[in-house]
Amino acid sequence: MAIDFSIVREAIPVLLEGLRVTALVSVIGVPLGVVIGIVAAYSAQSRSILRPIALGYVELVRNIPYLILVYLSFFGLPKLGVSASAMTVAVGCTAFYTGGYFCEILRAALRSVARGQTHASLSLGMTYWQTQWHIIAPQLFGFLIPPTTSLVIMMFKDSAIFSVMSLPEMTYQSNLLTANTFAYVEVLGTTALIYWVSSVLLAGVGRRLETVVGRRTRHA
Amino acid sequence: MFDWLDMGGVIAPFLEGVVSGTAITVAASAGAFVIGLALGIVLLLARISPFGPLRALVVLWVSLIRGTPALIHMLIAYYMVPALFDISISPITAGVAALACNTSAYIVEILRGALGTISYGQRAAAYAMGMRPTQVWTHVLLPQVIYRAIPPLTSEFTILLKASSLMSIIAVPELATVARNATLQTDLPLQVFAITAAVYFVLLFCISAASRVCERRVSRMLPHGH
Repeated sequence: MAIDFSIVREAIPVLLEGLRVTALVSVIGVPLGVVIGIVAAYSAQSRSILRPIALGYVELVRNIPYLILVYLSFFGLPKLGVSASAMTVAVGCTAFYTGGYFCEILRAALRSVARGQTHASLSLGMTYWQTQWHIIAPQLFGFLIPPTTSLVIMMFKDSAIFSVMSLPEMTYQSNLLTANTFAYVEVLGTTALIYWVSSVLLAGVGRRLETVVGRRTRHA
Repeated sequence: MFDWLDMGGVIAPFLEGVVSGTAITVAASAGAFVIGLALGIVLLLARISPFGPLRALVVLWVSLIRGTPALIHMLIAYYMVPALFDISISPITAGVAALACNTSAYIVEILRGALGTISYGQRAAAYAMGMRPTQVWTHVLLPQVIYRAIPPLTSEFTILLKASSLMSIIAVPELATVARNATLQTDLPLQVFAITAAVYFVLLFCISAASRVCERRVSRMLPHGH
């Protein structure tokens, strides 16, 4: 069949408008999730009641499909008397999921920094948090950047799921366009292409960060 | 407690649906995984072939799949492929095909990683003994590659099983679809989705636990330094 490029031309601005919403969800949700992940990772390191809570949280995130979490939040919250917009639920779900995965990434990175360094700095009289901030944290970035890049790309792609609650992100716009035009090849092809280019760009940014951080750590 | 679960007896029919939904989820995921693994092996052979364009095609395939959402793969398989080739595809065929293509891109990278851990000396030795390339692959390399790849492959299977919930977008009657329909009928989304989440959790938790056992066994069986 012939590809109708006039439909592609009309679809691109609509899809890019959707991409803006997709990006907005990730830009707010992912940093929130990183904060949750940091809290969860340090809780998992502690010996308090926070440890099982943090580990349970990670297991929940790893073992429940994203779609089910989105359905549960979007349709379940109103029944609990909480009215939340699709945008709020999207940001919340992104943060909740990112937090669980970032917790695992951070825990692996913390394990990679030699234990002896913590003991050494504690014996030099530094407090636990001084040790974490001045000694451990600067070394973490090298370990954190590659898996965090993958995580950001994963969350960006998975935001397509928010189309099920009619959040006007890119996949939802694509669904509207195909429902109106039946031009599946043109519209879905363009949508996939925009996702792909965005992912490749994000991966490029990740690699760039890796080399910059790698250079800085070598000099230090 | 069961009063809360079974408000007005509307949850019971849903629980029956859960059984068939779970069966479809597991069967479709397992089928997609087997097809994806076979496709992954073919892609691996193409990826390391001496023919440049073939290698480039695999790199492009992996990049395209990994750079686009699984949900879009579902839509492409169900709406775009039939429009492109003027054929009709059932939802389950489209869903399994989309999942298989999706997982193949991740599996080929897993297999390539595993192949990288096998020293070149083994291949050289096999050729020196007069084995043909096919024999080297079927007798020497592939068994080891698959064996070493078991832990990451099981974790890839858990990801695949989670992604299988996306088949509900194209109305495959798997677990997520059953849950979605039950919500519409019962208007009890909290109970329905909490039960669904619990079913997925148990399934995935068991597979993850099995994967950890596999990982320990595989690392024990491998010679040190590999």
